[in-house]
Amino acid sequence: MAVQTLILWALVAFAGAVAAWRFYRLLRPLLRARPDPRFDRPGERIIGVLRAVGLHQRLLKIRYSGILHAMIFSSFIVLFTAIVEAFGSGLFPGFSLAPIGGNTWIAWLQEVFAVVILVGLGLAVWQRYVIRPSRFRGSNTLDATLIYLLITAVVLTMLLQAAFAIAAGHDAAAPWRPVSRQIAVLLTALGVSGESAARGEHIFYWAHICAILGFLVYIPGSKHRHMILAAINVYFRSLQPKGTLPPADLDHPPIGVGAIEQFTWKNMLDLYSCTECGRCQAACPAYAAGLPLSPKLLITDLRDHLIDKTNGAAPEPLLGGAIAEETLWACTTCRACMEVCPVHIEHIPKIVDMRRQLVEQARVQPMLQEALSNLQRNGNSMGKSPRLRARWTKELPFKIKDARSEPVNILWFVGDFASFDPRVQANTRRVAELLHAAGVDFGILYEAEQNSGNDVRRAGEEGLFEMLAKHNIELLSGCTFNRVMTTDPHSLNALRQEYRAIGGTFEVIHYTQLLLELIESGRLTLAPGQGEVATYHDPCYLGRYNGGFDAPRRIIERTGHRLHEMKRCRENSFCCGAGGGRIWSDDTGVTERPSENRIKEALALGDAKYFIVACPKDKVMYTAAVQALGVEDRIEVRDIVDLIKLAPHAIGERQPNVAA
Amino acid sequence: MLVAVVLRLVPDLSGEFEIADDGKDVDREWVGMRLNEFDDHALEEAILLKEAEGATVIALALAGEGADRMLQSAIARGANRAVKISHDAEGVLSSRAAAPVIAAAVRQLGVELVLTGVQTPEDLFGQLAPYLGATLDWPHVSAVGGVQRAGDGIEVLQEYSGGISARLRLGLPAVIGVQTASQPPRYVSGSKLRQAMSEPIAVIKSDAMPAADTAEILALREPTRSSEAVMLEGDAETVADKLHGLLAERGLVKG
Amino acid sequence: MGDILVHIETRAGAIQPVSLELLTAARELAGATGMKVEALVAAAAPQEITARLGAADRVLVVAHPALEPYTPEAHAAILAETVRARDPAIVLLGYSSVGLDLAPNLAVRTGRPLVSYCVKLAVTGDAIEAESLVYGGKLRATTRAKLPAIFAVTPGSFAEAQAGAAPAEILELAPPDAIGKLRTAFVSETRPPPGAIDLTQADRILCVGRGIADKDSIAIAEEVAAALGAEIAGSRPVIDAGWLPKERQVGKSGCKVKPKLYIAAGVSGAPEHLEGMSAAELIVGINSDAKAPIFRVAHYGTTCDLFDLLPALGERLKSGGAG
Repeated sequence: MAVQTLILWALVAFAGAVAAWRFYRLLRPLLRARPDPRFDRPGERIIGVLRAVGLHQRLLKIRYSGILHAMIFSSFIVLFTAIVEAFGSGLFPGFSLAPIGGNTWIAWLQEVFAVVILVGLGLAVWQRYVIRPSRFRGSNTLDATLIYLLITAVVLTMLLQAAFAIAAGHDAAAPWRPVSRQIAVLLTALGVSGESAARGEHIFYWAHICAILGFLVYIPGSKHRHMILAAINVYFRSLQPKGTLPPADLDHPPIGVGAIEQFTWKNMLDLYSCTECGRCQAACPAYAAGLPLSPKLLITDLRDHLIDKTNGAAPEPLLGGAIAEETLWACTTCRACMEVCPVHIEHIPKIVDMRRQLVEQARVQPMLQEALSNLQRNGNSMGKSPRLRARWTKELPFKIKDARSEPVNILWFVGDFASFDPRVQANTRRVAELLHAAGVDFGILYEAEQNSGNDVRRAGEEGLFEMLAKHNIELLSGCTFNRVMTTDPHSLNALRQEYRAIGGTFEVIHYTQLLLELIESGRLTLAPGQGEVATYHDPCYLGRYNGGFDAPRRIIERTGHRLHEMKRCRENSFCCGAGGGRIWSDDTGVTERPSENRIKEALALGDAKYFIVACPKDKVMYTAAVQALGVEDRIEVRDIVDLIKLAPHAIGERQPNVAA
Repeated sequence: MLVAVVLRLVPDLSGEFEIADDGKDVDREWVGMRLNEFDDHALEEAILLKEAEGATVIALALAGEGADRMLQSAIARGANRAVKISHDAEGVLSSRAAAPVIAAAVRQLGVELVLTGVQTPEDLFGQLAPYLGATLDWPHVSAVGGVQRAGDGIEVLQEYSGGISARLRLGLPAVIGVQTASQPPRYVSGSKLRQAMSEPIAVIKSDAMPAADTAEILALREPTRSSEAVMLEGDAETVADKLHGLLAERGLVKG
Repeated sequence: MGDILVHIETRAGAIQPVSLELLTAARELAGATGMKVEALVAAAAPQEITARLGAADRVLVVAHPALEPYTPEAHAAILAETVRARDPAIVLLGYSSVGLDLAPNLAVRTGRPLVSYCVKLAVTGDAIEAESLVYGGKLRATTRAKLPAIFAVTPGSFAEAQAGAAPAEILELAPPDAIGKLRTAFVSETRPPPGAIDLTQADRILCVGRGIADKDSIAIAEEVAAALGAEIAGSRPVIDAGWLPKERQVGKSGCKVKPKLYIAAGVSGAPEHLEGMSAAELIVGINSDAKAPIFRVAHYGTTCDLFDLLPALGERLKSGGAG
């Protein structure tokens, strides 16, 4: 007996050492990595872990997967008692869980959850080999298969050990083990009993131990690391506002990340926590468009590169080697990936960090170079003279106040596209007319306004972002106003979220919010609607990034339209493809433009006559998509402002000037 | 090898511009200025020489509005230092007028090779590179598409029409009018620009007086169109139809 | 009064077309002033070239081996010496890569005024009034230069003079001493490879300019070119950026073409480009800037976005009718 104990100790020590060594090898680069401040607000962090892991919040968004995972997950927790029992009794003879119910309710739970986990595994195997969801494309199937086999081995050996024990008459918990009892009946029928049963119990005990130890040793090299790392990764998630990116220290190069070891420890932890579930890949508009970016493969490629490099076996560079430059430039920064990741991996900051280094090295495509050079020179990406910025106001029958010299209630930050792009200018004028009709005290910054820098930052040009931001902040600081309003969600994000860290704190609202206020307070009287069906597209930077989902919807209803939602709506909205600097890139490699994909989704609703947008880039992208698809007769792209038809008496008559 | 790149700001006529009241110049108060495109290439070629041969590159410009920023951008691009030439002349100097002023500075700095753009959009009275060359009595080559070190001197690629080009070897010192850099001018990130803002710009005084142009501008105006193009209006589909019709009418396409 | 000196540019024994244009200009000025026209040929064996210069009253030849192949320094020396010796009232040079070096150099060495980019020359009293295209062709400058003066003429501004009979007089001049102390040497010449596309033979050309924005977008134009049976070409910025090979450049430092159809997409139409294509039979300009100089030579134009128009056109070409 003592020999067995010794052997078990030796096995455990050995397996434990190997597993620990493998974990250490993984974590070593983290110990040397750049710092990342994630140790604040523990209470909030713990609650997040409980929601993510305990409630399976994001996992359940795909019902089938969520349920099967919950089954396996909960079974792991319960069956942990079996592991404790097995090792405890083996390492410390005399140890047993019996005193606390190891032979009663615990045993029963083990039996129930053994079945649960096997059913869960069955569902998982069915999904992986029969359903074959496309989000698994590129994932490591071998790894998954081995996990299934190992878990099955652990559970079956546990059941068989118990069954043989029952057949041998050893098991005090027999009455509480319905499944094992049935197996025992089968065994007895086959003539197994007494000594052969005892031997069977013995064999399967050791098989059980080996399966568990094998699993333990396997975990560090498998995506099943997430068993241990998921909760930890969720704990250390970013609590910064969604719309902010970690800053770059421009005074201390290297700026951004040019080699894998330059990532912070949390970024590296992300890489190890990935379960290759592929939800990010399924949500990514760039991937759907045929561009060479899969957020999942990005993370696994980075992970593999980190592992290779730690082992001294990675001769290729990070940028342009392990990760292709086109991959990095394909991202629209829409955040769909981060929204759905069950372990809260942060894809976008990694992409932006690598872009920062590419920009430093001048490794930018000509179109992007031209846009950035124009921004450096003229403060707008089109390269137009700043004097032309307010040209769109020329056709208005009234003069808009100059917020630089007069106090205003609402300071309207118009944005590049709304100001310069002829396709959008009509919209901008309409907004001005509505505000004027409602008697709003508003003004613009005329030619002093510069690009907010939101997408410049996301394209990796930190220095230029800082220049633009500082300019705008200084400009705004010299103005007198209550709130800032903008028609452009990207500008909204920069002004509301990004500028804070540079000393610009403003109350910023989207024009849909202002228009709703005006409608609800009666300052804009609407003509009655026709009840036409419309669908609404949530802009990434208004919805997902800034929580602005409801105002546009209420306006749609108020104007008498019937809203028919697309499946990918609200937080799951599907990006038009223009963000993150993509509007300054070309279409090479695109097999289907995200905007066309989206229009098809709207058409599939069957009855939507209007495709409503609330972002100037969206108006341009989707109008082009409708034209490209040739479906102008079936669906029409309209901005929120196009829906607002004023009641006859309201047109031409200014309502009393009430402070907003 | 000490290389100077002469940089110039020129009016950016891609946007709106107006003719000055006297009808002889662009209204410089409102027009945007930008670095002369060919000078951008000359700077890139100089930086390439620095990277390939370890040349020292001085960015050189006449003092004036915007000169500091332009020179700092050149440092951000990789120039070793920036030098501004202060002088007594007033107003806008043509390349001919500026040549002696710049030549004096070039001599002061002990430069062996001067690179500048082959021409500017306002070189009505001739280009700077040959003017500098003739003033300094140094050999010069214009319309150059690449500069390399060759022994004690340099080898350049002069481009002619019809896709013909020739390699010429020159002894130093020399002046080159660059048309195309060996690779497109690279991007300079905002952070590099920011760092360059704190770089000092040396100033040297040039004693030389500008040369006289000796020809006189009578008028500068937008050309009247003798035969205007017939403009096709409409959206892409409409114009494509019209265009296709045009070509078909002339038997250039089927349809 | 002095005469009119025309600088004849030669390459491998052939006279460059721009020099023949200068002779036409010189004859016009000679008619208005009574001056004589002298043509300067500086080459290794200039005698073979003089036969074509019947439009000149007198041909000045300077022969020296160092004059061929061309180097700016050698020819500048000859030109300066010739002007000192002959003291012409008017010197005409063509604005090619050769003229770019020689004209300003001559101006400094002889202290004469120089007006560049001339497209028109007229005599007014003791001066010449010249019209030039500046700022990429967007503006026209009228200048007045008191004689003696030098004028550099943009190729394509005048008709080429006919060869005519042999010139009345041929005068040999000795090269200056400086010819033996040159600091510039010819190394080698590169011509487009024989198999390379010869745009001058193309019937139809679709030329892309800076407006195409990047290399990958050229594919859009190539598709249309293929559907049109046209050769794809590029203006200088496109070639400089390496998006198309040098053989496909149209313009001053590229090819001069005269196709039946020339579509310029995203080309601004700077004089250097117009030099290469203004003689095409049917020119269509596509540029978002309504003021782009290309529309001055184009027969038809549109400010439609080329990224929208080209694919739409391509569709129609492929389907042979309305898309």
